[in-house]
Parts: sequence; structure tokens; C-alpha cells
Amino acid sequence: MNPSIIGQMAVSGALMGLVYALIAYGFQLTYATSKSINFGQGELVMVSAFFSLTLTNLGLPYWLMVPGGLLFGALMGLAIERAGIRLALEQKSEGWILLSIIMGLFLFSAAENIWGRDDRPFPTPISADPIRVLGVDITRLELSVAVGVFAIMGLIELFKRRTLLGKAFEAVSADRDAAELMGISATRTVMLSYALSGAVAALAGILVSPITTVGPTMASALILKAFSVAVVAGLDSGFGVVLIGMALGALESLASFYLGSGWREAPGLSLLILALAVRPTGVFGKAVIRKV
Amino acid sequence: MLVVENLHAGYGASEVLIGTSLTVKPGAVVALIGANGAGKTTTMRAISGVLRPSRGRVVLDGKDVQGLDASRIARLGLAHSPEGRKVFGPLSVEDNLLLGAYSRLPKFLGYKASARADLDRIYELFPRLKDRARQSAGTLSGGEQQMLAIGRALMARPKVMLLDEPSMGLAPVIVQEVFRTIRRLKEEGITLLLVEQFAKSALEVADYAYVMERGRIAVEGTPEELGRNERVIAAYLG
Repeated sequence: MNPSIIGQMAVSGALMGLVYALIAYGFQLTYATSKSINFGQGELVMVSAFFSLTLTNLGLPYWLMVPGGLLFGALMGLAIERAGIRLALEQKSEGWILLSIIMGLFLFSAAENIWGRDDRPFPTPISADPIRVLGVDITRLELSVAVGVFAIMGLIELFKRRTLLGKAFEAVSADRDAAELMGISATRTVMLSYALSGAVAALAGILVSPITTVGPTMASALILKAFSVAVVAGLDSGFGVVLIGMALGALESLASFYLGSGWREAPGLSLLILALAVRPTGVFGKAVIRKV
Repeated sequence: MLVVENLHAGYGASEVLIGTSLTVKPGAVVALIGANGAGKTTTMRAISGVLRPSRGRVVLDGKDVQGLDASRIARLGLAHSPEGRKVFGPLSVEDNLLLGAYSRLPKFLGYKASARADLDRIYELFPRLKDRARQSAGTLSGGEQQMLAIGRALMARPKVMLLDEPSMGLAPVIVQEVFRTIRRLKEEGITLLLVEQFAKSALEVADYAYVMERGRIAVEGTPEELGRNERVIAAYLG
């Protein structure tokens, strides 16, 4: 085994893993406010990527296409909350699981009908030329993934910590009823979390598509790994998903290189099973302590 | 200021309130006492909208508010400091207080400057909260959490404040401190509906009181009148 190849594979893998982390972070946002997640999040990533591709094909420059795609993702997030999740939550039912899966399937068929079944390249002005950092080649494209992921997560964390609206978001996460008593609308806060989660999913699609291509099936590949990351890291640590996401990405890339590409999915699934068996709250998940 | 008429509410099929009526006049401290399970906390929850009443009226400052979302009722001027305090554990003491004034403050930046006067007032009332302003609320002692819960409700500058079981689970010294605070708020002219297990202490500070039994008001009157009522003495003041 050549150490420089190991390093190379691990770094490229870890950068890809940041995309899983970002999708998992989207799960955390909605789980925090509503204890629900969108099981159709992968399809949300996919349709947002297709929509952004259409914007690009219409001639929109990259710097306009990105906010356009994010806005589309946020609106889709809102639509999913309104059309499905809320109906179940209002009845205190777990029906949001099934409803969000169904809406995901709906988005999948819609995408096939609108954009076709083929994988398509996603043009980007960011070059794929490698830059050498500490003996490892990193493409600008891979670097753009890291920049995008850390930028949006940083902005959202800053929003939660520094603005009053963000603190209200945290208050609803901590105690929904008590937050309502402060005049904070829990319903609106849940909507906000779904909009943010949708924007985050859209960004994940925009960042990953130039590397992987866009196609209706990209959803299932991404979502399973994002889900593994969310479960292993726990549903309340943004730092945790980044760490686990990068680790999983690196492991995956090494597994497919040394064991063959058929083993690519193995690390994620093994980690998922291990985490569920050993630590269901996640490595970074908090055990709930209540003071009476 | 607050009028409750024939309020019915419950959890699922079991009705806890079966026609509760009470009135809180502006500037009055009204005590709601009664045995465990009589429906005191349920009354509070049904007034503030955490629990949706199935029947009856709640009139806040002349407006019907029954059936509205709790957040809406809070914005109309009702502050409910709930049983069990319910502070936001992961957030700092100061953030908890700021959120108390949520509906009046700018939502993005500059909110702290707008709330300065209110914060100072709360810190003057509870100096210990000032020392712990940056600490997360979950790490406070029970007594400190109770002060934070009261402070948070006051931050809203409410027209009416509901205070549910402020002495629950606290050491006697702290309970005295809580009642000292309530007396001070009364001097400042607060309109307060107080639910208390310690009926005696509650009646000492109240202008008027209601005794609840099995989901409705059984007896009402001034503390002096209740102090002469043999049934009340036997059940709650003995």
C-alpha cells in the first residue's frame, strides 16, 4: 500500500463525505424543532440539483444560479412541511414518516417526467484542475464542496446563536410549549426549519452534482449515507455530523479502492448497524437530563 | 382584565375542568387554591392556550382569546409562568430573559439594546440572575430557575401574569423569597393569577381567592372571608 495513495483517497473521500454531513445537518435542523425529519430529503437534493441545472442551461451565471437553487430548495422544504409533515404532527402521529417517503417518491417521478431518466453532467465554472496541498492533489471542485458546506453551516449556526429569531429557534427545540408561552409561534419555527433544511439540501445537490452528475437515482445513493451519518453522529451535533461525514467518506473511498467498488456501501451500513446496536443516541448525541 | 366563564377542558376523553369561572381585576393578585388534581394547573393551561378549551370563554383585556394559539395569546399580553418552571435549559439565563420579551424586540440584531431597561429591572429584582447571566439555565438551582421563570414572564410586560406553583420543590427559605418577590410585584401594581399549594402563604398575599374542587370553583371570597369559612379552614388551612 502506497501511503500517498491512501492519503489521496482519504482526502477526496472526506471531502465527498462533507456532502453527506450537509444532508444530515438538514435532518438535524427539522428534528430540533419538530422531532420529525423528511425521509424524502434525497429527492429534495435531486430535484433542487435538476432545477439548478435548468437555471444554468437558461444561461444564469453561477453566482445567480446558487441563490436561485437555494430558494427553490427552501420553497420545496416549505411545501413538504405544509403538504405532509404538518398534517401528521397536528395529530401527534408518526405518519410524517410515510408521508415524507410518499412525497419523495412523488418528486422522483416528477423529476423523471420533467428531466428524464438519464444522468446528466452539471456544468460549473469551477475548474477540476488539481492543486497540491501537503502532497495530496485536491481539485478546486472538491475544495468548493468544503467551502460551501462550511459556509452554510457556519451561517446557520451564527444565525441560531446571534439573532433573536435564531434563539427562538433554539427555544422551540428545547421546549415547544414554553416557547409558545413567550409568544413564539412553534408552527412558524417548524416552517423555518424546513425551509432552512430544504436550502441546505439544495446546496448539497449543487455542490455534489458537478462531481457525480445529476440523475433521478442520485437521491437514494446520497440519502442512505446521510442517514447513516445522522444516526451515527446523533441528531443534535452539527460538529458531529461533519466529523462522522468526513470519516465515512474517507472509509468509503478507501474501501472501494482496496476491496473493489462493490464494497463502497459497506462502511456506511456497518457503521449504521454498529451505532444502532451500541449507541442509539449517536456518538455526539446528548442523553436527555431533566431537572425537576 | 381577565375573565374566565364556564371553562371546560381536559385531556383526551377525560374532562378535568367542568365549568370554571373566575375574574381577575386590573392590579389585583388573585389566588387559586385547591387539592392536587382539582384542576388548578389545567385552568392555567386552558387560559393561556397551551391546552385548547372545549367550551367556555376566556376574555383578556376585553378580547375573546379562547381557542387561539398560545403564542397569539401571549402576544396579546398574557404571560404564563408554567408549573415546573420550564426554563430553556440549553440557553443562557440572559437569552431566556430576552426570549420573554420576544414579541416586542427586533428579531435579528439590536434586540439586546432594546431590552436593556427591562433586563436591568429583572436583574435588580433578582441580583443572582445577573451573576449567572451567561450560564446556561439548565445549570441553575431550582430556586434560581424559578426566579428566572418569573423574570422571563415579567420581561413581556404582561397585562396579566399567570404564575403556577412557584414554590414547587423549593426549600422553605427560597419559598419565602419567592413570596417576598410576589409581594413586591403586587406593590408595583401587577395583575396576577397565582396557583399555590401553600394556601396560607397564597392567601396572605392575595386580594381575592378561589378554591377549586373537582374541576370547578367551590368557594370564593376575600382571604378574610375564606379564613372564616370552616370548610376551607378544615381542608386547606388547618
